[in-house]
Amino acid sequence: MIAGHFGLAAAVKAREPRLPLWTLMLATAWLDILFVPLLLAGRESIENAPGFAPGYGSLLIHADYTHSLLGAVLLSILLGVVLGWRWGRRAALLIMAVAFSHWVLDLVVHRADMPILPGNAAHWPELGFGLWRIPALSAVAELALIVAGSTAYWRAARDAAIRAGRSSLMPAHVSGAFVLLAGLLVLFLDFEHLLP
Amino acid sequence: MTFILALILFVLVAGVLDARIPWVSDGKREQER
Repeated sequence: MIAGHFGLAAAVKAREPRLPLWTLMLATAWLDILFVPLLLAGRESIENAPGFAPGYGSLLIHADYTHSLLGAVLLSILLGVVLGWRWGRRAALLIMAVAFSHWVLDLVVHRADMPILPGNAAHWPELGFGLWRIPALSAVAELALIVAGSTAYWRAARDAAIRAGRSSLMPAHVSGAFVLLAGLLVLFLDFEHLLP
Repeated sequence: MTFILALILFVLVAGVLDARIPWVSDGKREQER
């Protein structure tokens, strides 16, 4: 899941207008941002799930540090403290929650490849409900997140512009449309596996 | 690559577009100061 995370962040922005959108978008992608260098360094890895052709939802992702339950909690707290402090305690908590929402959404779609402890230290059973086994259903869930999130964001942006007495609502319409179209593009590219 | 593209689109471009929205009205901003 990529696009769905950003849809959720857009929905949160609609409820929390004081926080810049980029902070919430960064927060929702935080665990994957940290995953990239660990993947390149060989500390975390990706493989194709047995019996599945390469494509959307076909992966087993061994992100044993960034996507472990404890690791995700600690990394979310870290981001909230570092990024959210300047907007106050509520903002910091919200950024933590959005960062951790990544783990929750991944829990739904991932196969059982998410450990509880970093590095799966205790060799406890790994977590994941495996919605990716039904790619069409997973894509529909992502689509719902994108549409709901971008719609909530667009409405909130439009209402904010009206409240501020702006004569033109165009910036709100452009921002809302962009979030929706970017989400649809990313989901399409992900689903069709068009980029490596 | 899809993830990197998504980061660029959502964090950078959407972030810039969002900054043009008057989320906090000028009066309220003055109050907060």
